[in-house]
Amino acid sequence: MKLDKLRSALRKRFGDGVEAREDRGSIVLEGQLPSWEARLEAGSRAVGAGSRGVVNDIVADDCAWAASERLDSPRDPGRDEGEKGLEGLSFDVAVIGGGVVGCAVARELAKWRVSTILLEKEEDVAFHASSRNDGMIHDGFAARPGSLKAKFNILGNRLWEALAWELGIEFRRPGSIVLFRNAATQALYPAFAARAAMNHVDGWEYWSPRRVRAEEPNVCDGQHGAFFLPSAGVISPYRATVALAESAVMNGVRVELGTCVKGFEKEGDRIARVRTDRGDFRASVVVNAAGNWADVVASFADDRFFSLHQRRGTDMILDSQAGGLQRHIMAMPSIMQAKSTTKGGGLVTTVEGNILVGPTATELPGRESYATSTSELRTLERHFRINRRLLPSMAITYFAGVRACTWEEDFIIERSRRVANLVHAAGIQSPGLASAPAIAEEVARISLDVLCATMKVSPNASFVAVRDAPLELRRLSLEERAKAVSRNPSYGRIVCRCEEVSEGEIRDAMKSPLPVRSLDAVKRRARPGMGRCHGGFCTPRVMEIVADELGIGIDEVTKKGPGSRIAVGMTKSGLGEGFRG
Amino acid sequence: MVDRKEYDVLVIGGGPAGLAAALSASGTGARVGLIEREECLGGILKQCVHDGFGLVRFGQMLSGPEYARRFIDLVEGSDIAVHLETFVHAARRLASAGGGYVLECVSRDEGVFEAYAPALVLATGCRERSDRQVFIHGDRPAGVLTAGLAQHLVNIEGVLPGRRAVILGSGDIGLIMARRLTLEGMEVEGVYELKAEPSGLSRNLQQCLSDFGIPLHLLMTVVEIHGKRRVEAVTAARVDLRGSVIAGSERLVECDTLVLSVGLIPENELALSLGLGLDPSTKGPKVDQGGGAGEGIFVCGNALHVNDLVDYVSESGEAAGRDAAGHALSIGAAGGTAAPGRRVAVKAGPGFLYAVPQFIDLSRPGPAVIYFRVNSTLREGARVSLSAAGETLLGKRYPALRPPEMERLEIDPGRVPEGCDSLWLELERKEADLG
Ligand SMILES: Cc1cc2nc3c(=O)[nH]c(=O)nc-3n(C[C@H](O)[C@H](O)[C@H](O)COP(=O)(O)OP(=O)(O)OC[C@H]3O[C@@H](n4cnc5c(N)ncnc54)[C@H](O)[C@@H]3O)c2cc1C
Ligand SMILES: Cc1cc2nc3c(=O)[nH]c(=O)nc-3n(C[C@H](O)[C@H](O)[C@H](O)COP(=O)(O)OP(=O)(O)OC[C@H]3O[C@@H](n4cnc5c(N)ncnc54)[C@H](O)[C@@H]3O)c2cc1C
Repeated sequence: MKLDKLRSALRKRFGDGVEAREDRGSIVLEGQLPSWEARLEAGSRAVGAGSRGVVNDIVADDCAWAASERLDSPRDPGRDEGEKGLEGLSFDVAVIGGGVVGCAVARELAKWRVSTILLEKEEDVAFHASSRNDGMIHDGFAARPGSLKAKFNILGNRLWEALAWELGIEFRRPGSIVLFRNAATQALYPAFAARAAMNHVDGWEYWSPRRVRAEEPNVCDGQHGAFFLPSAGVISPYRATVALAESAVMNGVRVELGTCVKGFEKEGDRIARVRTDRGDFRASVVVNAAGNWADVVASFADDRFFSLHQRRGTDMILDSQAGGLQRHIMAMPSIMQAKSTTKGGGLVTTVEGNILVGPTATELPGRESYATSTSELRTLERHFRINRRLLPSMAITYFAGVRACTWEEDFIIERSRRVANLVHAAGIQSPGLASAPAIAEEVARISLDVLCATMKVSPNASFVAVRDAPLELRRLSLEERAKAVSRNPSYGRIVCRCEEVSEGEIRDAMKSPLPVRSLDAVKRRARPGMGRCHGGFCTPRVMEIVADELGIGIDEVTKKGPGSRIAVGMTKSGLGEGFRG
Repeated sequence: MVDRKEYDVLVIGGGPAGLAAALSASGTGARVGLIEREECLGGILKQCVHDGFGLVRFGQMLSGPEYARRFIDLVEGSDIAVHLETFVHAARRLASAGGGYVLECVSRDEGVFEAYAPALVLATGCRERSDRQVFIHGDRPAGVLTAGLAQHLVNIEGVLPGRRAVILGSGDIGLIMARRLTLEGMEVEGVYELKAEPSGLSRNLQQCLSDFGIPLHLLMTVVEIHGKRRVEAVTAARVDLRGSVIAGSERLVECDTLVLSVGLIPENELALSLGLGLDPSTKGPKVDQGGGAGEGIFVCGNALHVNDLVDYVSESGEAAGRDAAGHALSIGAAGGTAAPGRRVAVKAGPGFLYAVPQFIDLSRPGPAVIYFRVNSTLREGARVSLSAAGETLLGKRYPALRPPEMERLEIDPGRVPEGCDSLWLELERKEADLG
């Protein structure tokens, strides 16, 4: 019935280019359309027509390449080829994906006496969405009431503070000021409050224009007060992901980087073996936390009841000198945005003391395409109106990330209906970071349920929740710092001048429980090169330390794993001719 | 409590500016501490293995290390206390009588300590603008680096950054790197310059590009980088005279390396943290002829404004060191206060990018040097004059003036008439260069 309606609507709109059929409850769209926009429109129209998800297999002529993106681990030709270290092993749980979700799941599982392996195709965890976001622990107000997003966001927000403490990473709750730009938006206050109540948001207030001004002296003129959400927090997303992974490793989880899951071998309605580019192994439960590839991973088990579309988001990072100009997270949605469910971005104060401007939300193909563009940056300019003292010229850099969205625009967190030992954590778009701890609890609970049918599961009595935070010299008092340097002089050698990172901190990061192999991996942990000069000064020094710690030549050091060497070889003399003391 | 070392003058930065400042301060009998965060003195000169340094000062073409060596030898033979691998983490002014500054320093060999002096010389040099600051979009692969970083990799680390490079920006470092990379066996596809004329010195255009047949593409820029892990290509495009990309002119250039030489910015975090305001046209603090920015802070070299010739950097360092020592010693003598002299402002009229210093202190003996840059090329040259209250104090003819090339003028402060509060730098150009 609904399917017929959809078919006629599609025919009316797109002619014969598109076909819709039902497959075990899902709506499958096939065919060809001239543009990516048309493909998107078709996908959205199909929502609700079936009892399960929308699978959009339409090829867009202007982005045909998107249909053939390949899931692979980057490899240096000739190196490590044929290494099959995982062949023949067996695990109770295999978690696919080393983003914040996979790492949180792995750590949650470490609280139990089960053997867990986490597989990440890149050379480090937090390589994709989990290092390319705003680091905001949302209050839960923006999510659609009744959605999984709303549920897990609120729960996750409540869990993060204690979790961050255990992990030894910084968490702050600056609170979020949603400004009313005019009387019309101000009139929406009761609707805002009703929604916040429906979502069980932890506290909200109306702030008068005067109160807003008192809290944020640099706020724009002409604001009509604000909806204040005190529970909104911030965290460093990559540090959080790394810390979760490290904590998991310390508690017995095996993390295999540079390992791509390529398929499953099924026996009846179960996955028997996981096929990877480093060998095949047995797993009793498989968790799909593959981010932008979660639909492809589902297809390996013949369970692709949904498909993902990519929404790119670009953020600008302002110099830490601007950080002091604002204390809270601030946004000023237009009336259209206020009514819809998209958050529309704003100004986020980070734990590192910068301000993030963004993100944008643009439908673009490319599961791992992080190109930025002038037009994206331009759409961010409007946020500068919120704070009178912020200027676009304060930007030190900008970056993009890709949200993995289902057509229903909600998370999928469930045990597969077709494959008895597969658990999905898919479609984890924003607020996925905020929700991650709660998603992890739920996924671990489901996984243990599955395991319980075949084995006895007991708590891991030796689980250590607290992870020792690495030393951060710049945050110590002068006296504490003096002590640290006298203990270890390499803490006194500042390598990155913008972020004030010492050689000792970089060496510590490289000795952590997870292997650290590239400049970007070092950056995620110790921040050298994250400041205003972008590594212009510290890159060679960090390269030297990385080469030394890994026992490789300086010309073998990479920016982000295989295929990304900084240098291609030695110079003719192989010697520096300048002097270095 | 951490250890506190006391000096008359503290110099931050051991490049040519800081070396000259330390030497001249020490020459007046002041106790000088020189703080450098790297493992040896010399600043950016350590990696400038090409020659072209010291022509004005020594009448010789020295390499960067050779030029620096001359000063380092003198420093090593003096009683200047050098603190290497020492980073100034924070600076604060003492509120007590006499003021002065305390630096919180972190050092590998000396641990954490404080250093105090009544006078501070900031000789912290400059940093390079990055691809983000000139808004190049696209992917973020390995293979995108600033010219100074490329220079460091090749000349200090002995590694080759790639096989085929595109260079964006025709500043001197970009030109020098075009030659250096070519000599090392890389292919330099071309140098792209947004403006209608190159920004490097004429001699570098000849010796680094023409002599090697490397094309210079004027009115072109790089708009996008391609390649997920390592650069695979860039998109280059033509621009109009206002710098806007001309639609449809884009073309793909295959390369594995993009070298950026798109400008230098004075390094002024410490100056800002001490509350000094910056001159928007130089991006450095506003100073008098001795680099004095007020309250015992002196600034010199590239931290003040970006210099093209090291000789002038040394000159500005010497002036700053001398005045810093004078300030410190007069505070000692006057029991806590140094009386400021009468100051007049130096204002650059139309046609100039900027003039430094921004003030002249009339109580100071000896000639004051004014450095300036014009904002467009004057092939026919021009007469530059300095006037006060309508009266011309001095004038000088320059055979040619170009924005990248800094020029200097000397004036005797004694010639500034009573009652005037500003001096004007004026430009009289030739007909051919008008319009
Ligand atoms: C611009 C932007 C801003 C955002 N801001 C916020 C915010 O402020 N707050 C918030 O809560 N959320 C935010 N989000 C959303 C948040 O970033 C994501 O929800 C979250 O990071 C998703 O984590 P994940 O682990 O599911 O995915 P990912 O981090 O993408 O991890 C998935 C991993 O799986 C790996 N993988 C995939 N397939 C395989 C395979 N076959 N074998 C091995 N490994 C595989 C991938 O390499 C990847 O590392 C933002 C997103 C964007 C893009
Ligand atoms: C790549 C390049 C090529 C050049 N080529 C020529 C040429 O051919 N001919 C010519 O005449 N001129 C040339 N110049 C110009 C001239 O050499 C420079 O202008 C001059 O070196 C600047 O000197 P400086 O002392 O101001 O700065 P720098 O040489 O940069 O020295 C600054 C020093 O301060 C230190 N420092 C900074 N901050 C701190 C801190 N917080 N704590 C401790 N130490 C700190 C730095 O480590 C550095 O050693 C070139 C410049 C560059 C950059």
